[in-house]
Amino acid sequence: MNKKKKDWRKRYAFVGLSVIIAMFAAAIFADFITAYSPNETNLAPEAKLQPPSREHLLGTDDLGRDVFARMLYGARISLSVGFVAVIISVVIGVILGAISGYYGGWVDIFIMRVVEIVMCFPTLFLILMLLAFLGPSIITVMVVIGVTGWTGLARLVRAEFLSVKERDYVQAARALGASDFRIIFRHILPNALSPVYVSAVLGVGGAILIESALSFLGLGVQIPMSSWGNILTSGMHYIESAWWLMLFPGLAILITVLSYNILGEALRDLLDPRLKGYGQK
Amino acid sequence: MNRVRSKASVYLNRLIKTKALLITAVSFLFFSAPPTGAQEAPVYGDAYVSGSISDAITLIPFLATDSTSGNINSMVFNGLTKVDKDLNITGDLAESYDVSDDKLTITFHLRKNVLWQDGVEFTADDVKFTFDLILDPRNAAPYAANFQDIEEIKVVDKYTVQFKYKKPYAPALLKLGTAIMPKHLLKDIDLKNCDFARDPVGTGPYKLKEWKTDQHIILDSFYDYFEGRPFIDKYVERVIPNQAVQFLELITGGIDSMGLTPYQYKYRTDTKKFKERFVKYKYLSRSYTYIGYNLKDPLFKDKKVRQALSYAVDRKAIIDGVLMGMGEECTGPFIKGTYAYNEEVKKYLYSPQKAKELLKEAGWIDRNDDGILEKDGLKFSFKLITNQGNKQREDVATIIQQNWREIGVEVEIQAIAWAAFITEFVDKRNFQALILGWTMPIDPDNYNVWHSDSMKDGGLNFISYRNNEVDSLIEEGRETYNQDERQRIYHKIHEIVAEEQPYTFLYFPYALPAVSKRFKGIEPAPAGISYNFIKWYVPEIEQRYTR
Repeated sequence: MNKKKKDWRKRYAFVGLSVIIAMFAAAIFADFITAYSPNETNLAPEAKLQPPSREHLLGTDDLGRDVFARMLYGARISLSVGFVAVIISVVIGVILGAISGYYGGWVDIFIMRVVEIVMCFPTLFLILMLLAFLGPSIITVMVVIGVTGWTGLARLVRAEFLSVKERDYVQAARALGASDFRIIFRHILPNALSPVYVSAVLGVGGAILIESALSFLGLGVQIPMSSWGNILTSGMHYIESAWWLMLFPGLAILITVLSYNILGEALRDLLDPRLKGYGQK
Repeated sequence: MNRVRSKASVYLNRLIKTKALLITAVSFLFFSAPPTGAQEAPVYGDAYVSGSISDAITLIPFLATDSTSGNINSMVFNGLTKVDKDLNITGDLAESYDVSDDKLTITFHLRKNVLWQDGVEFTADDVKFTFDLILDPRNAAPYAANFQDIEEIKVVDKYTVQFKYKKPYAPALLKLGTAIMPKHLLKDIDLKNCDFARDPVGTGPYKLKEWKTDQHIILDSFYDYFEGRPFIDKYVERVIPNQAVQFLELITGGIDSMGLTPYQYKYRTDTKKFKERFVKYKYLSRSYTYIGYNLKDPLFKDKKVRQALSYAVDRKAIIDGVLMGMGEECTGPFIKGTYAYNEEVKKYLYSPQKAKELLKEAGWIDRNDDGILEKDGLKFSFKLITNQGNKQREDVATIIQQNWREIGVEVEIQAIAWAAFITEFVDKRNFQALILGWTMPIDPDNYNVWHSDSMKDGGLNFISYRNNEVDSLIEEGRETYNQDERQRIYHKIHEIVAEEQPYTFLYFPYALPAVSKRFKGIEPAPAGISYNFIKWYVPEIEQRYTR
């Protein structure tokens, strides 16, 4: 990759990162940004289903609630679900991948078969099934997205471990009598993490999409709490007359997921010299 | 379809009975024809396609409790009696009937030359067979209590059948309108595990052609129907689980009829274009929506607490805000406007102040200033569940949550998919409070919902309401034929239930059907619009579908 291209990557990464930071800031400071409460209804006919105006930046919904306020508070849910779910995936994926790659043999064969079994299921349907058993709530949504999303990470980490564990410094550590635990976490893992960063960032975008889909289907966050997905659902009932109810949450999801993807791809090019050329197709 | 189901039924998702829909561009040819204003003689042909929020569950009529199944069953089957357009009882499969002076014996004289849809003749044996099935405990029929006072069913001859009761039972004639089943097909068959539930044969005006789960049910007209061949050749019910999508289908011609939402009725259908193509109707439905409290839960044991919760609910805001005025306040479990409905009962006009006082009297006080009431170390906090996909109910839940929050009661709302909602939560009594609706039978007898005997498994008294006075009044009402007497009884039940508030009664919504103008012969009456469906027709020039 020549220098010019690398600069472009940096610029993309910067844009993606800025958008994400702005989204987080908006979610965190929602209380200061809008004076409206997200769940405060106003049933007066003149307050319901109002198009965007100076008073209500993004209009109001069928119960007279301010859509902008609901989007801001909904961002807390949508963004944190993505974040927490990916942390769960990373923890599981890294640990199983590390064990698999480091020990090899039957352990490796067993863990990789488990990965393949989990990967066989279409993720969304597996999640729907789990939620049907566990009952929908924000915690279960985070956990369920997390425990179904670790397989790719485990494979990546395993592959890194397979190559890194043969390096001289690992052999040296082993010769000095370091424990397996120390070798895995102090010596190998730090050198195997760059693909994890990339994959995690891309994973956040995916998790936000899944959360939106679940909330849209009514299996995510429960009313009256808002998330971008369930604002979309309630807007669906007024799709021919109140365009603002579906457009803005849809845009928010699009922009956020796109930002994560841009950031992830840019990170990949910057961090991982062996992936040179990928992500430019 | 002109028969009103003589039973309370849990209704699916919607307050309005939505009708079917349509599809299948493949099997029908489409003609576009200019509309005509000329009145002409009815002709055969065309299809009626309506949209339904949910699919049917079973086509064995006496096992069905949901409105979509009831709807299809009413097209495929007939009962001994039915109600006419003015809600009077009249014969259906029975040509006439005699009730003995002591009210203990009812004799039905059956119509002759009625055929089952497979060509076999219908006889008195089928009638006896049907009630034996319903009363067989192995079949666990949800409404078996409607027939528990029958002592004997006697087949006098091929066309005469006699019912003997142990004691007088006032709603008998109506309840005996339940669908009659074919003995020649169901003899020695395990109903729990048979094809009949998805491939029924009845005596009704339409017979099942195809049922694709969660997609559509297609019925063909039955040429040998005893009241004459229906004019419309096909009746199609399409499952479209969302009223916004149904409305788009209606506009684009995918369906011919649907139940409008109040919003659609008020704001989307007053255009010239809509009025040119559709007629919309508005009438008070026989359904009401309520909040039910699980009386086994310690939170709701105290009457004062339930009264307080009712006082705190702003019904007017709900009717004006969510129903856009398309509903009326409900105070008890009877059809508004009928003799059984007592207008004089205690009303719980919105008053957070009164609610707070009552809760204080009951010992609920906010001791730690967190805005939530406590008593004996217990927080007043519970879960309110309702079925998912019903936007109206979700909105109602949202408002009630806010209302209750103001008096220091914390509620968590959970919307659950319909099938799981009924089987896992309602049937298993596994809930604290819920929002649901009932569609009421014409007769005010509501043993199935309010008598303590209906608390048993499979019974519909899932809130476990027990009041000895109500129990004996219900029993008395069933045995009383005199309407003035019955009025006194049901007014009293209404009064007690209103005082005790085992439910917080919310509203009666209006039914808001819209039907394509292609269909002629519709005559709105107290029974609604669909009672004379077999007389509806489409002038040849406007017909859209060919066979």
